[in-house]
Formats: sequence, structure tokens, C-alpha cells
Amino acid sequence: MTNFKVMVCDDSIFVRKKMRDILAMLGVSNVIEAENGQQAVDKYKSENPTLVFMDIIMPEKDGVEALSEIMAFDGGARVVMASSVGTQKNLKDAIVAGAYDFLQKPIETADIARIVKKAAGNAPRQVSPHI
Amino acid sequence: MFTQFFGNYLLNQNLVSPENLAEALQQQSRTRMKLGVLAINEGLLTADQVEKAHNEQQHSDMRIGDVMVGMGLLTKNQVDSLLSAQPSGHLLLGQTLVDKGYMTTSQFEFALSSYKRENSIKDDDFKNVDDNTVRRLVDHFYSFDSNGAIYMTSYVSLLFRNLVRFIGDDFTPMDAHALYGTVLKCIEQRISGGLSAITLIDADAPTMIEFASRFAKENLTNDDEYTHACVSEFLNLNNGLFAVNVSNDSGLELKLEPQSYYDSLDIKSLTDACVIPVRFSFGEVDFIISM
Repeated sequence: MTNFKVMVCDDSIFVRKKMRDILAMLGVSNVIEAENGQQAVDKYKSENPTLVFMDIIMPEKDGVEALSEIMAFDGGARVVMASSVGTQKNLKDAIVAGAYDFLQKPIETADIARIVKKAAGNAPRQVSPHI
Repeated sequence: MFTQFFGNYLLNQNLVSPENLAEALQQQSRTRMKLGVLAINEGLLTADQVEKAHNEQQHSDMRIGDVMVGMGLLTKNQVDSLLSAQPSGHLLLGQTLVDKGYMTTSQFEFALSSYKRENSIKDDDFKNVDDNTVRRLVDHFYSFDSNGAIYMTSYVSLLFRNLVRFIGDDFTPMDAHALYGTVLKCIEQRISGGLSAITLIDADAPTMIEFASRFAKENLTNDDEYTHACVSEFLNLNNGLFAVNVSNDSGLELKLEPQSYYDSLDIKSLTDACVIPVRFSFGEVDFIISM
């Protein structure tokens, strides 16, 4: 997956490392990191990643705000929201803002593998319809 | 979860020392259950009968189950049924303490029956430990009486389940106490929205490192940003799941703030805060909750 670039946006150094490890195991080595929502928006514009994993609770700019700005910049962006707070409200907010998918933390390798496979297969945006 | 509260009970009754309990909790996974403790737990035999059977066995070349059947204490079916059942954690703990000589079989029998009686625990409860059972145990043990008692019970029940899930089951919940002064080395996360709460994890550096190592499944050695991030993520996961439960159960939407690490935090203003000390085999972790 040489052309497959993933951006991991999370304020936790632990989560960013864990995501890197999982992605490396799945053969994705081109990974960039952002530590808050503002950095994610800036890096998305300059780096144009294929797929983004975005935390919601972050300092400076939260994940949903960042998602909205990224979608305004690129309507085809694939941004997966990953949060410990998987309430129906958060899920709905993420979908309305244009999320590609939603993950409830803790992050599991199988979930990342499923999403990477979906994005690599050029699948359109699709999240759970159960709202 | 019965194991953890049973450990606390043994400590409070002065039946074991904190050091012996910690050692037994750490080693219980390697313990092989013996028929006597299983039969006592099921109420089929007394400690006295088990001891007589063991004495009898010393004069013969028979297995203990055959000795008990021979003495008319148990039927063959009862022996088979006891040996085939998956033992609950509290039994492994009891067996480990007996094997190590930290408790006698009689003391175990007494402790187990008093523990069951005082906590209104039925034998079936041990086999079906669901969310409600844990909540009932926590409610009975802590008896929170503040305005947010329902949420406190719910929070602490979830916390204990997540400790078992992410850190390990070798811990003993200790009695809650009020908060005083300054907390050193802690992770904080605030909750706002439908209800306001401040949650903290407080531990000394070696305990924090071991807690983080277990959560991350890595061998960490330094008290650094990465270690703090691991402990922070545990708190975030627990609080996130709490927010989901509150949203599902009460319709209240909660918002979590980003976590912060402090070398020293003055918490005198948190007058309603409750400290839940949890004693792991590697050290004590205080969970501080103001809700």
C-alpha cells in the first residue's frame, strides 16, 4: 500500500503509537500524525491523506469541528471518528458532519483492518444506519 | 468481582495480612482447585469433614474423591460434578491462601459463609456475575449517600469491571474515604453536560508505571509522558463508557474534557470528593471521584 497515506489525529501519544503499530501490521507504513483538531485540518490540506482516524475529545479544536472543516475543504475526505464516547448523539453528529465511519474505543485491530480494506477498495462513505 | 470484595472482607476480618493477600492474588491463576474447598463452597461438607477425609487419605493410597465417597461424605456424582465445574475466582483465592498456609480450611469455611450471609450472596450469584450483580455488590459495599449516589454506584461498578478487563483481577477494593489536601502525581478528567464530575487517578510513580504497562501491554520503565498517556487513556475509556451508559439509561448527554497530568494538584475545593483506594499486587491506586 505504497500510495496509501493515513493520518492519525489523537492528543494521546499512546493512542497514536498504538494506531501506528496496528497500521504497520496491516502493511500501512505511510502514516502522519496530528495532536489536535487544528493540526489535523492543517495537515489534511498540506498532506492530502487517503484516510484519517480522528479522536473527538481533544484540546484546541475537537474532532467533530475538525471533521466539518476537512469536509468543507474536501467533500470526498474519508475521516473515521474514533471515540471513547460512542453515544447515539456523537454517532449522529459524526454522520451529519460527514464521517466515513465511527469507532468506539478501545481500538481493535480487526476494526482498523476492516476500515483500511474498505478505503483501499475505494468504497463510498458508509456508516451504521442504526440511529 | 466477588473475589475482589472477598479479599477486602478477609482483610477487614484480619484473617490475612495485606502482603499475604497480594501474594495470593498474584499467584491464584496457577492454583489447582482441590475437592475439599469446592465441597465446602457448595455447602456439601464442613471443614471438619474435609480434614477427617484428608487424615483418612494419609493412611491409604486412594484419591481424596474416592476417600470421601468411601466415607459416605459425597456420592460419586457429586465428586464428578464438583471437579468438572469451572471454579469461581474467590475459590481460587481461598485455595491459594489455604495452600500457602495463610489460612486454615476452617477459617476459609467461616469467612466464606459469613461473607455470603453478610452480603446476601447466593451460590448462583457466583456463577452469573452480570452488571447488576456487580452494581449490587458495590452498592452494598460503599453505600454512597450523596445526591449522585446512583451515578456513583454505576461509575464505580463500571470502573471495577474495566480494571478487571484492562489491568487485571489481582486487586482488592478498599473502604472509601473523604479527600484531604493535595494529590501528587495524578491524571484528571472532567465531565460536564447532564451531570458534572471530576475524576482522578492518583498513584506513586512505580505503581503508575506498572498500571500503564498492563494497560498498554508493554514493558514500560519510565515515569514519562507515554506512561501518563496510557493511564489517561484508561481513564478516558472508563469515562467514555460511563457516558454511554448514562446516555442509554437516563438520556443525559455527557461531555468529556481532555485529560491532564499533574505533578501536584490542590484538591481542597473538592469537598464532596470520594476516594476509592484499590490495592493491586503492585501498589495502591486511588480513584478520586467528585460527582
